[in-house]
Amino acid sequence: MVVNNIDKLIEDLERQELEAPTGIASPQVYSQLLAIYLYQNDLCNAKFLWKRIPLTVKNTNPELGEIWKVGQHLWKSDFTATYASLNGFNWSETVSEIMRNVQDVVRQRAVDLISQAYSSITLDTVASMTGLSVDVCAAACLERGWRVEPDTKMVYPVRKVSEPVVQPSSEDQLYKLTDFVSFLEN
Amino acid sequence: MPLQFMAMAQNAVEPMQVDAPPEDNDNNEEPFYMVENPTLDLEAYANSYTSLAKLYRLIYVVDHCPSLRLEALKIAISYVMTTYNVNLYQVLHQRLSELTSNLNVPDVAAPSASQDVPLIDNMWVETRLKKSALKLEKLDNDLKNYKSNSIKESIRRGHDDLGDHYLDCGDLSNALKCYSRARDYCTSGKHVVNMCLNVIKVSVYLQNWSHVLSYVAKAEATPDFIETQAKDSNPLLFTKLRCAAGLAELATRKYKQAAKHFLQASLDHCDFPELLSPGNVATYGGLCALATFDRPELQKHVVNNGGFKPFLELEPALRDAILKFYESRYAACLKLLDEMKDSLLLDLYLAPHVPALYSQIRSRALVQYFSPYLSADLRRMAQAFGRTVPALEDELMKLILEGQIQARIDSHNKVLFARDADQRGATFERGLAVGREQRRRARMLVLRAAVLRSRLQVQSPPREQGEGAQQQMQPVTSARS
Amino acid sequence: MASALEQFVNTVRNLSSHGNFRELYEIITKSNEVLSKNVQHLDNVLETLDVQQHSLGVLAVLLAKFNSPNVSLPDNRFLQAQEFLTNCNIEQVRSAPDLFAEFCHLFTNYLVEQKQPIKGISLLKQALIRLKYVSKAQLTSIHADLCQLCLLAKCFKPALEILDVDIISICQEITHTNVTSPQFDAKYFLLYYYYGGKIYLALRNLDRALYFFEIALTTPAHAVSHIMLEAYKKYILVSLLLHGKVHGIPKYSAKVVGRFIKPLSLPYIDLASAFIINNTTELNNIITKHTEVFTRDHNMGLIKQVSQVLYKKNIQRLTKTFLTLSLTDVASRVGLPGPADAEKHILHMIENGKIYAAINQRDGMVVFRDEPDKYSGPQVLKTLEEELALCMELDNRILCMDEEIQVNPQYVKKTSGLQDDEQPSKSTYAM
Repeated sequence: MVVNNIDKLIEDLERQELEAPTGIASPQVYSQLLAIYLYQNDLCNAKFLWKRIPLTVKNTNPELGEIWKVGQHLWKSDFTATYASLNGFNWSETVSEIMRNVQDVVRQRAVDLISQAYSSITLDTVASMTGLSVDVCAAACLERGWRVEPDTKMVYPVRKVSEPVVQPSSEDQLYKLTDFVSFLEN
Repeated sequence: MPLQFMAMAQNAVEPMQVDAPPEDNDNNEEPFYMVENPTLDLEAYANSYTSLAKLYRLIYVVDHCPSLRLEALKIAISYVMTTYNVNLYQVLHQRLSELTSNLNVPDVAAPSASQDVPLIDNMWVETRLKKSALKLEKLDNDLKNYKSNSIKESIRRGHDDLGDHYLDCGDLSNALKCYSRARDYCTSGKHVVNMCLNVIKVSVYLQNWSHVLSYVAKAEATPDFIETQAKDSNPLLFTKLRCAAGLAELATRKYKQAAKHFLQASLDHCDFPELLSPGNVATYGGLCALATFDRPELQKHVVNNGGFKPFLELEPALRDAILKFYESRYAACLKLLDEMKDSLLLDLYLAPHVPALYSQIRSRALVQYFSPYLSADLRRMAQAFGRTVPALEDELMKLILEGQIQARIDSHNKVLFARDADQRGATFERGLAVGREQRRRARMLVLRAAVLRSRLQVQSPPREQGEGAQQQMQPVTSARS
Repeated sequence: MASALEQFVNTVRNLSSHGNFRELYEIITKSNEVLSKNVQHLDNVLETLDVQQHSLGVLAVLLAKFNSPNVSLPDNRFLQAQEFLTNCNIEQVRSAPDLFAEFCHLFTNYLVEQKQPIKGISLLKQALIRLKYVSKAQLTSIHADLCQLCLLAKCFKPALEILDVDIISICQEITHTNVTSPQFDAKYFLLYYYYGGKIYLALRNLDRALYFFEIALTTPAHAVSHIMLEAYKKYILVSLLLHGKVHGIPKYSAKVVGRFIKPLSLPYIDLASAFIINNTTELNNIITKHTEVFTRDHNMGLIKQVSQVLYKKNIQRLTKTFLTLSLTDVASRVGLPGPADAEKHILHMIENGKIYAAINQRDGMVVFRDEPDKYSGPQVLKTLEEELALCMELDNRILCMDEEIQVNPQYVKKTSGLQDDEQPSKSTYAM
């Protein structure tokens, strides 16, 4: 799985770009790097990567442009268009797995956002924000424990409670406190 | 016209006064407005004043009230003929002729309006100028005689008489000079106080408010005048000084101070028509108090103030408004205030402050209305304040952002909810912010120490330096869009 | 001719083998003339020298090569520079910081001219790390070169590792006999902080960008440079984006800055005043009126962000006053075209944690809430611990600096020269 070792991969790709003897990396490096930035929602770096890819490389590798289209839609937080461009292209092997993952993380973000930002929302909006069909969407909502009113097509999301971080051991805690106190007293 | 005139006079400041700061007079930036339906009895109004106070007030009415313009001009002209103020006489006639020609052209069928319009009397002007010059010469000669005889008291009086005459002619800067010169010949505290009063009077006409305040202070500092006793021993003087100070504070937008001054006045000794009428004291003091006092202050200093009560009796509408406010019947209070607004807008000194005072009174009413509640129905609140709900929301929003009301608006259900300040959260937030700021500064200081150690300096010549830098920068800036 | 070069090679070899780098440094600073007269033979010279053992010698040769207007073909300068930057001897190069910096400037300019800035990023960065400038938090003029290359290549991420280090000392790159002259060219200092600010800006780290622009703005100065002026303009805009207001020019900035910089940036000051009173219409009027200036300054992108942020700021003000509000009202109160725009803005702000609210699509309302228990739970403790750790670290650093000063011979001399009763107590300097 590419995404399991993403930090290592990204470091590798960035190094390859910087150390390319001609100053121009291979199209594969560019497209993977661009896709991974999208996966990480690092739109700033994605944007500047797109800007620095030489025009000749862009012209001979139309897939790069397609990846960046997804980035542009993400930049505008336009979920509908994002899904459309994600699904509207036959991704090559180099990036297909990453692009699939992009779709997953974007959808996950949308779901989190809905639960955070809405007390009631139309089923249509949910569908367009998640890129799912209305029926699939309704089922998924119910599965999450969100109430769906069939007549009004309204969904009532439940706010997700953020999971508490793992409590550090009390000994560790005590050690830190001692540290602070001794600092403050000196 | 009078504005220009005053401004001109103001430029000629007494030479000994070096510390006169430029006055920020509202009149200079006052928005142009007209009062269409005044409820003012002009005759009675004019009779409350003498001297330039009367004239300036009438001219203000002329400027701002078309329906009273003619009458005001007539009263002013007949009054100005009792003085030596020929200049103002001519100015008033000019206004009058502009007015009548305007009246007559469109409506020839109604000549009756101009029937009793006085015509400019050039003979009067000439003789008046002559008389005035003669009197001036005589007073000047007298003064010279006194001076050669070195009789202090006479010299002082001579200056005062000369000042009186200049004032009568409307020459304020010369009047101020003469009155001020009298200072060197004062032999008793009483004289000093008298000199102060004269300067205060002229300074009020000049709208030089800092001057007014400093001479009030000067008068109060004379040995004869000890405030605690003055109230009883010399109540007339005391009241006059309070009112002059109040007026100056009002004009410089220090409404609370103004209220405190006016509220100490005593009606029985309120007799200075060349400055203010008792009615003015009531209005100015009452409105300023209403706008700036909290409830206990209002009760103690206004409602239960035996000294001020008689003043309020002169202005029954205002008295009722204050009582209504005090009884928390805000709608009634605001309605009364609205009814008074037109005549207040014709008041030379108060008019520029009416909008500010009214909005402060409203805010105060809103804050007080809500203070006992945890939640309040916006619809009922709007009714109580004679506003639409959206307009009320706007007003409340401003007050909440200013921190005057601790509450939030439920616009959906139209309810205002009191809000508990989250002290704990706020403390955390502040603590973290202070910590971050501290770190930022410390880091910057460490760097700065290094910079100073390396004696790094951006050097001249700036041109070369700048251009070199610009060239360095240029490719980068242009490459990035 | 050849003998001069031979002599150079021999001296380099001889002194290097004895580890006499001080003397070697003196000699190579004077060898420039000989080397530049024999450009065509320099590659032969290089062959006789070892990058590791004779780093200073190689540095001198490369300086001559990059300085020379005549390029011998094939142009092997990049490869030679690459070899040198990757393998040079650290101690030798550190003993000639001025020459090394000069070499890096020439190398940078070369890459800029070749339109291949990206090729130098990794090399300069690794050199800074290898030479321990980064771990010692010492600023060199090479820092500015690196930032320039990153900006031109539009490749910012590699610079962060360098930029994130807070500088605590400045490399002495200029040596004078006169002790009161500067030891570092202010131009590079300004460029580093201006470029650095721009990089942070591009990567949306506004806090850090503001910090960098503020440093540029407060650099000690007898004259105002264009860089400071541009930094000031950006300082205003970033302040608005970040804090919604502009703090004045810091008091310790040079007097000339206060005097000259404001009159030169009036459109920006007008913009800030409209922003501060939350007046969208006025703000947009000013933007339209000064579009030409803003575009010429290359600040239009930032300006557009400022105008967007004002909507957000106004929405935030609404959250302070309202519990519930219809989306239509939100739109009309902050001057957005319609409820859909309002919803979009609110959604965005919720996502970024700027406000705490819930949109009710059924009624077209939005409910603003106080964040419940914002400051409770282990997360807060963790934040506090982190903040405290940072403060402690900073405090330690300052203590170290204090100790350095205490043992500084000049300081000791000065303080011991004082009368005994004037002797400052230790605590005065303990901070």
